[in-house]
Amino acid sequence: MNWLETPQDDSERLLREGLDQATKRLGDEITHRRVWARVADALEKPQPRVYGRVVFASAALVILVGAGAVALPRLLPIHGSRGAAAGAATKSPAHAALPSQTEPGASGAAEVTATPVDQTALLESERVPGHVVRTRAGEHARVALGGGAEAELAENSAITWDGQHRPSIEQGSALLSVPHQPPGWRFSVTAGPYVVTVVGTKFEVHVANRTVGVEVSEGVVEVWRGSRSTRLVAGDSWNGPLRPDEAPAAPAALPAEKPQPVTSLSAKVASLANRGPQDAQAALQAGDTGKAIDILTRAAQGSGPTAENAAYELGRITRYNLNHPRQAVALWDKYRTRFPTGLLRTEADLSIVDTLSNLGDVRAALAEADAFLARHPQSERRLEVQKLAERLRAAQSAAGQR
Amino acid sequence: MGGKQLTKTPSTTQASLADAEIVNACRSGDTAAWRSLYDRYAPLVHRFSAALGVPIDEREDAAQDIFVAVYRSLRHFRGEAQLSTWIYRIAARHAIRMGRRRRTREMMHLTMVKEKPPIATDPSERSTHIATLDRMLAKLPPKKRTVLVLFEIEGLSAKEISDVVGCPENTVWSRLHHARAEMVKAARRMV
Repeated sequence: MNWLETPQDDSERLLREGLDQATKRLGDEITHRRVWARVADALEKPQPRVYGRVVFASAALVILVGAGAVALPRLLPIHGSRGAAAGAATKSPAHAALPSQTEPGASGAAEVTATPVDQTALLESERVPGHVVRTRAGEHARVALGGGAEAELAENSAITWDGQHRPSIEQGSALLSVPHQPPGWRFSVTAGPYVVTVVGTKFEVHVANRTVGVEVSEGVVEVWRGSRSTRLVAGDSWNGPLRPDEAPAAPAALPAEKPQPVTSLSAKVASLANRGPQDAQAALQAGDTGKAIDILTRAAQGSGPTAENAAYELGRITRYNLNHPRQAVALWDKYRTRFPTGLLRTEADLSIVDTLSNLGDVRAALAEADAFLARHPQSERRLEVQKLAERLRAAQSAAGQR
Repeated sequence: MGGKQLTKTPSTTQASLADAEIVNACRSGDTAAWRSLYDRYAPLVHRFSAALGVPIDEREDAAQDIFVAVYRSLRHFRGEAQLSTWIYRIAARHAIRMGRRRRTREMMHLTMVKEKPPIATDPSERSTHIATLDRMLAKLPPKKRTVLVLFEIEGLSAKEISDVVGCPENTVWSRLHHARAEMVKAARRMV
């Protein structure tokens, strides 16, 4: 019998439930594959030789240098109020000029005026609410946003962080590069009342006068205001009023979808559809795969991100829970036909490559891998797929020689 | 919705036999065997690192470091303990080392700027009891935490835990007893 299986009070119940949930914290497939790609790299390198005491001395030196690298950025901003931005500058040539000025912001947080000499240096600004990084006329700055994402601030621009630690473009223009996010993760940036949500892409957000604009260079982004959203693909641009309650200063294209009264039937249906993935997940955890598939099949018949997620998930469950890899490939292919620029397109492509490869269908897997490399030349998964393609090619030629 | 949820690592005798085969194949340089070893133990490493307090944004690096350490040391694995026990030992040492570095960093940060840096959290864990559990676990000293996690979350026996942490079984029971008492106290304060 497990400890606290018959809890005496709410605190013991909370503890037991926490422990039960912790046993299910296993990570997701995308992280699993990404880490393997990194481990596989290490396997290909020769193993280091052991040099006894010399190695120990070197290790001590590395630790000291490492501690210095951690300490220095924290020690330097002692003249400022927070100044992690200044701290990060010690890691790059830009530190000589960073920050030129550190002032308390409106909320008491630091406001950094960035004047990097080397404008290609990445500024590791502190991502706390109220912290502001600002550029002046003729200045540009690259600001790290966490998770590998970064923003290139144009002149006369400012970026800050909101109460949820999301980057927020206060003024001017910023070109954002966001690496592909694992499923379940979304990168968000705010501008006025809008939230721009992405999975992995390159796009520009500008806030000028009374308008907010978004231009997408790569991938897909969604612009949300409350429950309304507009999806933009590469090449699209969108403008909205900074204060939608006021009359816009310039004509602005409003989100394409009309607002629905919250009491309308369609809103209730949409709300139920949004609950689909969570209900399906709960059914899966309860071991009821059939129910999960029913829920997802219904959700996939709708539209928007919920339908798209459901369409992808159907393939995943078919492969991993039902163990029908061929059917899973067909479902993911269906997903691709329906959502050719979908947010989970990369994942669908990778899942197909992986499944075909595991099935031993070398020719089809190789064709998919090559198509992936052609379709996603900038993908962070490129290396991983390239390696797989090389292995598949070797297997194909070995089979041909026999 | 997250990616495919990985399955929990098997710990049966049959799995142990397969472990021995995998270890032999890995030693002979079979990359496919390495992939099998990774597939089998990556969920364990992820879950264990998370329970020992490795933050979400450091877990990928931690997993990489642990598997590279396994790769580099596998030739020294004598097979006296289970492979999983040996991997737990490497992962525990790594997590404690990372925790020490993190605490030093946070201490310096607190000294200089009097404010804690924001902690990255996994959105999928925010709304669950895991976040509360993590806060309670964070209050335990590392040795007690490791024992509690290995027993209550990883399901190891006291004998296996004593192999992982390198202490007598009686010490394991004692640490577990104190860790449980501290967790219940912490839970009462939170409710």
